[in-house]
Amino acid sequence: MSNDLIIKDLYARIGDKEILRGVNLTVRQGTIHAIMGPNGSGKSTLSYIIAGHPSYEVTGGEIWYKGHNLLELEPDERSRLGVFLAFQYPVAVPGVTVANFLRAAINAHRAEEGKDPKETAIPAAEFRKLLREGLNVLDMDESFIRRYLNDGFSGGEKKRLEILQMMLLKPSMAVLDETDSGLDIDALRIVANGVNRLAGPEMGVLVITHYQRLLNYIKPDVVSVMMDGRIVREGGPELALELEEKGYDWLREELTGAA
Amino acid sequence: MTTTLPTLNEISAEMVVARSQSAGEPAWLTERRREAWTAFAQMNPPEWRRTDLSKLDPTTIAPSDGAHATAIQWDPALAAQGVVFTTLAAALHTHEALIQKYMDTAVEPLKHKFSALRAALWQDGALLYVPKGVAIEVPLRLIYTLATDGTAIFPRTLVIVEPHASVTLIEEFTSPDLRAGSFAGPITELFVGDGASVRFVSIQHWGSGVYHLAGQRAILARDANIEWTSIQLGGQVQHIEAETTLVGNGSRLNWLGATFAADTQHLVIAPWMRHVGHNCESFMQFKTVVNDTAYSVFDGMIKIEHESAATSTRLEEHALHLSPKARNDSIPGLMISTNDVLKGGHASTSGDIDQEQLFYMQTRGIPRAEAQRMIVMGFFEPALETVPLEELRAELTAEIAAKI
Repeated sequence: MSNDLIIKDLYARIGDKEILRGVNLTVRQGTIHAIMGPNGSGKSTLSYIIAGHPSYEVTGGEIWYKGHNLLELEPDERSRLGVFLAFQYPVAVPGVTVANFLRAAINAHRAEEGKDPKETAIPAAEFRKLLREGLNVLDMDESFIRRYLNDGFSGGEKKRLEILQMMLLKPSMAVLDETDSGLDIDALRIVANGVNRLAGPEMGVLVITHYQRLLNYIKPDVVSVMMDGRIVREGGPELALELEEKGYDWLREELTGAA
Repeated sequence: MTTTLPTLNEISAEMVVARSQSAGEPAWLTERRREAWTAFAQMNPPEWRRTDLSKLDPTTIAPSDGAHATAIQWDPALAAQGVVFTTLAAALHTHEALIQKYMDTAVEPLKHKFSALRAALWQDGALLYVPKGVAIEVPLRLIYTLATDGTAIFPRTLVIVEPHASVTLIEEFTSPDLRAGSFAGPITELFVGDGASVRFVSIQHWGSGVYHLAGQRAILARDANIEWTSIQLGGQVQHIEAETTLVGNGSRLNWLGATFAADTQHLVIAPWMRHVGHNCESFMQFKTVVNDTAYSVFDGMIKIEHESAATSTRLEEHALHLSPKARNDSIPGLMISTNDVLKGGHASTSGDIDQEQLFYMQTRGIPRAEAQRMIVMGFFEPALETVPLEELRAELTAEIAAKI
């Protein structure tokens, strides 16, 4: 059984608008894989579809992970299988505290069929310890966890909370959607540090970004470029630098020239 | 041994008078009861367009015999500071003048047929009196229960808080599931003195089947402050008329509500904020959740009287629909009789559970049903977090979860 994430010939649309037009992509376990592309190329749509957003209609293709076609699973089942999406725009849920939300998420991952949820729930002391560690790495104040989920959070606070969730849930396949947007250099460093501590041979990471900047802090093994709903080029870390230097238009011209 | 109690259609003014006299009640009270009963017998039912009382049958409503429904929980050591918290029946012997002075001056007894009924037949009830300057930290609790099918109780709560005193009171209505025809007609009156502060949590969580027709009013003196939480979860049909009157200059009101109507429940609440004094501030935020084929009504009102000045007020209602067949009518109103208003506004929103919230929570592994439960709890959180007792909050949380 492969713990690679394998996307085969994926087509998707929202309403009448076709966004993905045959995406083929493999994110290997133990690698950091970046997807770069101009705005509107379908990068965020791809991340939403991996996570199971109900607004997109998948019209063709498959996404395989750990022996399951993810497209057949509910978003929560995908999460419990080890897939994590760090949102570009995390959603506010007023009245639900960060602490209660994190505990519910952890316990959902620990739940086992046929067992009393009380039995599998994380012990309070262990939860507090995990939280404290995570807050520490991300340089967050403890008062943070008593606030309502993403409610009135700054852009930087939201992104840190996404990484905190990732650290607590320990996914085996993490998708980071434009995690660098809205972060200053200090916050970017802290967030990247959180990701780098987790990444390793057991974990695949798919980093979606418009700019090369994030990739200075989270070093990719593979870089894919997405344009107009397809992966148009794949290369090593040098491809990101080349794009940074020459821009997306260069690649577009090269592609149309070749056609 | 069971005796059959007389039902509403069998009771007469003579019976009301006789019962009052045999209980040893003062003559003024007997007279008030007689007057109220006469009014009840003569009046037509009020025209409540959105409250369906068609199944209310006076031949099945049997007022309970005596006061068996009142439970008072407090630390009696507070009596040493002059605090009185006891049944109204007992207080009539010890604090008759106080009761006579205040009772019926907040909730008008002859306003309509049901207010008259309550004023005529009340047996259960409690007096809470907090003397000047006394600050009570621990919440006091007053519980009204309906133990048997098909009976009716008319409990009344009388709260008098003297200047610069402070207190927290929980008033609860609770019972097992009962068959239709069980009836509660409560009256709640609160008098908050100059500079006094009250936290009042009123919880209607009857079992099924109960009709709840309530009148509640708080009157605030100068610089008085009330934090009022209204929680409505139980019963079959509910009609609550509630009002806070900001009479004294500089008085303040913060009013939070949570209503959850499910199955075939029909829950109506009409909270009013009435501004009379100068420089008074009020805020109301009610949350409503409807499920199944339930129907709820929020008929909130800001009334700014001509003698008021420099009022600041805001009213909000937010409704969440869990089922397409459930219905909520929100009718926020604003009546202004003066040009001198500092700030005034109202807002209401209504919608289904946010799909983006559900998706976000599901991507963290939380199953859809659990995410839905958390979102509803979060929606009610502002009101729930004001419930001062942990075990009561847990009880309410479980009751809410069971309705999702």
